[in-house]
Parts: sequence; C-alpha cells; structure tokens
Amino acid sequence: MKYLFIDSATTNLVVAIIKDGKIAYMYNNNDGHDTSSKMMPVLAEAFERVGLKPQDIDKIFVVNGPGSFTGIRVGLTVAKTMAYALNIPIVPVSALEVMASGGAGSALINARRGYVFAGSYDDNLNVLYPDSYVLMNDKLNKPYISYDSFDFETVKPNIDILKVIKKHVEDQPINPHFLKPNYLKMTEAEENLKNHDREN
Amino acid sequence: MYILAIESSCDETSVSIIKDGLEEISTVILSQIDTHKDYGGVVPEIASRMHVENITIVIDEALKKANMEMKDIDAIAVTYGPGLIGSLLVGLMAAKTLAFIYNKPLIPVHHIAGHIYANNLVKRVEFPLIALVVSGGHTELIYMKEDYSFEKLGGTLDDAVGEAYDKVARVIGIPYPGGPMVDKLAHEGSDVYNLPLPLDDDSYNFSFSGLKSAVINLAHNEKQRGNEINSANMACSFQNRVVKILVKKTMKALNDYDVKNLIVAGGVAANKGLREALTKECEKNGVNLIIPKMKYCTDNAAMIGAAGYYAYKRGDIAGLDLNAKAVLPLK
Repeated sequence: MKYLFIDSATTNLVVAIIKDGKIAYMYNNNDGHDTSSKMMPVLAEAFERVGLKPQDIDKIFVVNGPGSFTGIRVGLTVAKTMAYALNIPIVPVSALEVMASGGAGSALINARRGYVFAGSYDDNLNVLYPDSYVLMNDKLNKPYISYDSFDFETVKPNIDILKVIKKHVEDQPINPHFLKPNYLKMTEAEENLKNHDREN
Repeated sequence: MYILAIESSCDETSVSIIKDGLEEISTVILSQIDTHKDYGGVVPEIASRMHVENITIVIDEALKKANMEMKDIDAIAVTYGPGLIGSLLVGLMAAKTLAFIYNKPLIPVHHIAGHIYANNLVKRVEFPLIALVVSGGHTELIYMKEDYSFEKLGGTLDDAVGEAYDKVARVIGIPYPGGPMVDKLAHEGSDVYNLPLPLDDDSYNFSFSGLKSAVINLAHNEKQRGNEINSANMACSFQNRVVKILVKKTMKALNDYDVKNLIVAGGVAANKGLREALTKECEKNGVNLIIPKMKYCTDNAAMIGAAGYYAYKRGDIAGLDLNAKAVLPLK
C-alpha cells in the first residue's frame, strides 16, 4: 500500500510518502509562513524521488487542525482535491497527535493571549486530554511538546509518522466533499455575534 | 481548448469550464452572501472557511454539469489576485493540485482581467477599448490596445464605488449589501442634498471616501437638529454625484485615447443609474457600449476561464509555486 501524508497546520510543513509500511520520502522543515508556495513543489519532488505518480497513491492522511487557520486550509485543500480527483480514501488526523507521536506528553500550539491549542497523549497515542482551545493549565501533563516558544520549558516534536498512520490505518475514511478543518475555535466575528445575541 | 477555471477571491466559490475563451460550457457559483449579511459585510476568515468546505463540491458540479471529466480538460485557470488572501488561497491550492495531478498548464488570471473578459462570453470584444471596472472592491479605468494588454489609466484612491454604496446604504438604514437598493431608491427621490462632486479634476482617478463622509455628516447633522433625512432623496443625491463623476472621467478617457468601444464590468455595472447615463453619453458620442449580462457582472469563474484563454495565448503559464496576492497590479 502507498500512502500520502500531509501536515501544514504548524510552522513545520510535513509531506511524506509511505510505501509498504516504510517511509519512502519525507520532507519536514520549518518553512514559516511560506506553505502556500512551498507545498506543491515539495509534493512534486516527493513523487519524483520515489518514482511514483499521484495516481499510485491508495490513501491520504491529512492533518485537519488545530493550528494556523490558513496553514490548515492549504494542506486540507490539496488533500481534499487529490482525494476527490483520484477517488481515493482520505483520513483526517490531529496536528497535536502528530506532534506527540515521538513520545508521551502534551502537544501545544500557541494561540496567543495565554491560550493554547493543547492535547495530551500517551506513548501509544491514546488521548489523555482531548484536543482543546484552552488557557494553559495544570491538567496538561508534562513534558510540553511544541514548535513554539513559551516562557516555560518545552521540547521540540520528534514526529513518528508511521506510528500515527498505524494508529489510524483502520479509521473510516471521510468523503472528501465533507471533510472539514478542525479549527477548535470560532472566528472573532462569530464570537462577537454570539455574545451580542446573548446580551440582547 | 477546454479550460477549467476557479474563482474564490471574495465570497463566491465558482468553477467554470470554458471553450476557447468564448463559449461557456458550465458554471457553478456558490455564493456566501446570506452568511455575510449577518455581519454587515464580508468577514474574510468566514469566507475562507466556507471556500474550503465547498471547493471540491463546486469543482465536481461544474464537471458533471458539463458532462465532462478531468481528462477532457486542457488547462487550469485560477484567480491569483487581487482579493482576500485566505479566500484566494483555497481556489489557488485546488487549481495547483489539479494542474499537478493531471500535468496540465496552470494559468494565473488577474481578477480584473476576468471582469473585462466576461463580455467575451456574449460577444467577442473589439479593440482598442476602454474598460470601466466598478465593483465592491474595484473602481478602475483601463485602456486595452489589443487582447490581454492592459494599461491602467486610473483608479480609486480610497473606497471602491460599491463599497461607498454599501456604506451609504447603512447610513440611510438599508442592510448589507445595500448598493442595489440605493440604486432603486435613487429613482424614487430627488437631488435635493448639497453633496460635493468627488475628485472633479483632470486625472482618471476616483475618490469616494469624501462623498461618503459628506453623506454621513449630513445625516448626523440633520439628526442633531431632530430632522429625519429622506432616504430616497439622499440616495438620489449620492447616486447623481457618483454617476456624474464616473461618466465624466470615462468619457474623457474615450476622447483622449480616441477609442470607440467601452466595456463596463463588475457588480456595479448592474446599476441602473450608471447604465442609463452611460447609454445616453455613448449614443451622443458614437461609442459602442458593451455591458455584460447581469450573471457575468458579479464574481464568477466563467470570466476567469475566458480571460485565461488569452492569458495562455500570451504565454502566461505559472509554476507550482504560484502564490496568491492580495494586491496585484494589472499588466
């Protein structure tokens, strides 16, 4: 089986092609905010390096959040369009779970003003604290795993894509038309409208 | 040549299949207007979110409507600017993905070029021409000597004309998007309010924020005095100024460049007051006036597919690193 893995929700763009249970190619780099121009050349190079065509892929695993709203949409749009066009199954995975795949702990993405996107996982990627948009708190167990800088100690993610895929390989695929981002946060406009409605 | 075109620069997700830049095979437009109404305007993050949820559905429907498959498509055209960056990115990434999977040329299209070429779907446009592009996001005068050559003569220095309409609508109590209603009311009222004619100079530029402020101040002052402003009269007074300056500068461009073809494009091309005034002036001056059908005035992918054909013929092919641009000069 040949799988494509895409994660552009964090500051690290990850693209991997998995062939018969092994990583045939992986790109994992801190590209900052240049994901939209980097993504396709990286994908094209990945296919070229392993000598495959997009049509050879059997299944796509894509991170659908949480993280950078734009970053999530870039990767998800590519993955959805591919899955739709090639008529292959697509499975969403959590950005935080991917971050925690190198070892147990709480994966954190800085969401500003004291808030984090956070989720705690054990060594087998079982959920200990479900992915949430929360104020930093004591229920999130150490170590803290993050690409971002905080005023407390964190370790950089050391991601294990094969572990993530193994965990989700039996997941029921989602119709790409209905696969949505998992932002874990409403837009400010929606929040304001909701608060306004509540006050009136 | 069959081009699959994608447009997502604002709050419409649209996909079209266009043959040879002239013939519309299919178009699907998914408008988000009902959602944005609740917020009094387009909310960029909400627009982006809706685009990503709808993009593959709209592609699929456009293909099905045309009774075609991706293998029948020769090239992919996409709006890469100007527009809302988050919205543009969704259409752009989908277009790049299709171009990559099927190894087809990727044609980058400027949104305004699309608005002008919308006319091509009705009748092949003739050159040289002057284009007046008026919408919620744009107000521009463009000279085109030949296919896909653009010389911007002038544009708005602040608010776009459609934007000014929506803001004035709010002042006189009409909910977003109020432009069309202002146009309607203008025909029922009289020009009684003393408003300035904005940027009445020899340039081809426009400015509508001063006029908009004048409306706001006048309404405010009347309210202070305990008077209600008459909505229809205000709409009429405002529209008369806008139309007068648009027509004046457009006719000046036609005269200065000795051009006999005028294209009016963009959502505000639907404005009855503007249409009437331009029709009258063009008849008087022997100018051939072309205004696209209403369905081609607002944002759609058909116009991107039409423009994309001529962009392709000029040799505009983008690499897979093509990025979206919120601000993009027309060249």
